[in-house]
Amino acid sequence: MAAVTTMLSRSPGRHHLLLMPAVLLVLALCAVAAPFVVGEGLLRLSSEILLIFAMAQMWNLLSGYAGLLSIGHQVFVGAGAYGMFALSIHAGVNPYVAIAFAPFVSGLLAALVAPILFRLRDAYFTIGMWVFSEIVTILVGKSNWLGGQNGLTLSALRDMDPDWISPISFWWAAFAAIGSLVLLAGLMRSRLGLALLAVRDNDVAASSLGIDVWRSRFIAFVISAAGTGLCGAIYFLGPAHILPAAGFDPNWVVIMLFICVVGGLGTIEGPIVGTIVYFGLRQAFATSGNWYLILMGSVAVVVMLVARKGLWGTLHARYGISLIPIRREPPSDKTFGI
Amino acid sequence: MTIVLQAEGLAKSYGRIVVVDDLSFEVARGECLGVIGPNGAGKTSLFNVLDGGVRADRGKIILNGEDVTHLPRHKRSHKGIARAYQVPQPFPDLTVFENVLVAASFAGRLHGHAAESAAWEVIHRVGLQERIRDLAGGLRLLDRKRLEVAKALAARPQLLLLDEVAGGLTEAEVNVLVDLVKSLKPDFGIIWIEHVAHALAATADRLMALHFGRKLIEGTPDAVLGSREVREIYLGIVDDAAA
Repeated sequence: MAAVTTMLSRSPGRHHLLLMPAVLLVLALCAVAAPFVVGEGLLRLSSEILLIFAMAQMWNLLSGYAGLLSIGHQVFVGAGAYGMFALSIHAGVNPYVAIAFAPFVSGLLAALVAPILFRLRDAYFTIGMWVFSEIVTILVGKSNWLGGQNGLTLSALRDMDPDWISPISFWWAAFAAIGSLVLLAGLMRSRLGLALLAVRDNDVAASSLGIDVWRSRFIAFVISAAGTGLCGAIYFLGPAHILPAAGFDPNWVVIMLFICVVGGLGTIEGPIVGTIVYFGLRQAFATSGNWYLILMGSVAVVVMLVARKGLWGTLHARYGISLIPIRREPPSDKTFGI
Repeated sequence: MTIVLQAEGLAKSYGRIVVVDDLSFEVARGECLGVIGPNGAGKTSLFNVLDGGVRADRGKIILNGEDVTHLPRHKRSHKGIARAYQVPQPFPDLTVFENVLVAASFAGRLHGHAAESAAWEVIHRVGLQERIRDLAGGLRLLDRKRLEVAKALAARPQLLLLDEVAGGLTEAEVNVLVDLVKSLKPDFGIIWIEHVAHALAATADRLMALHFGRKLIEGTPDAVLGSREVREIYLGIVDDAAA
């Protein structure tokens, strides 16, 4: 544990983020006020946007920064949500509080499966994640304790004031979204972040320079799973009902992947752009049925052909702009009296 | 002289193919041991066994009196083994500074400003200061080789493994590199694998010639390069006494 704390301690980077705390404060204040200003429908949509953004950011942490491509991340969405439902139903925990335990459920699941999945490399890991997700889906569907194919209903929510469900969901979603930004920015400036970037670029060189590749990836994997699980739990608070096919829907990971690929994998700003594109397209073509899926696919293909690093990634590579800089600047020559 | 590395009876084979065969040698601080041998003689395999990339089947690796034979690669790096690879292994999407910072932070076990200034100094020492903010993926070959050496140095090693760092360079560039390695010698034990024989002859205190993973001969550069075995097997010159 002490080692983890050391790795998470601030890196030698010297970026000044004078703007960042101010921006975060404004965002947080907006989030607190929003439910009192905005109507029910818009509030729900906003919650969904924030949650999808946070999930995409967690997927970005694993695939863009730790270099582990997962197409089974829906398993953590479902695990977090089922964890919250089970705690509320079987242990009588208040659903709003049970949400806080969801990341531990999905994080623990990741920690347990990592020793097996990490034996697989590259494409094999990717496929392994998918297979693992399918196995968990089937097991949950067969478990009476988890409601089997009928799923679980969050009956405790019926006794609560219905007017507060959407605002509390929204606040949790805003917490997840802002938290994912802060977490990723903080992580990437830390020693662990530097280790992850090195591992992503070249794992052999990283280990020969003293980086424990396995442990770095493990920490990123567990954090990513925990964050995804938190979002899953918050998401299913609204419907108050969960089925294996909904919690473990492969569409979850498809959306995360789309957002990261279109916005820019391995950049913190990319998923912001990707989320805007995703919801923009979805809202604009919501009435055109399946056409919107075809359009999404086409957009992804075009972006991959024209701007391989994603929209933000390409802008960043060409003009060097970044909203949240994580590059480590060398000390100035003056520091050394030259 | 302090002995930095002792290798005792190292052996490694893949199935029936023996790549390192009962090798024993020592390297002292301030000493450069050159390793030569034809392609497939087991030179790079020897480095893999030494740095922990693969585990030896038999034998012992003693670093500063400590047995590191069973440590994984990243822990051997903490103990002071650093390696510059034959094919440079940069982190392409990180800057030169960040590349060297990785070495100083993890292998070199430095934190904060100490890591930053160590990286800064090493970058100046190998002559990469003009490229310090450039992405490593965009460097030309000599600069990549320099970066490779810079990372190995920033690791603050006891033992430096140089794997054909002169390969593919022009004559003038090789000379730059030879001067660099010479300037490093007093601080470390160095093992240098190289095909560029004159670079080794100018730098190494001793040469060891390998053939099929086995030690053919070890001695001063002149003695080794002039020996009949090396001339026959490595340089391909057959001494035809009968002619």
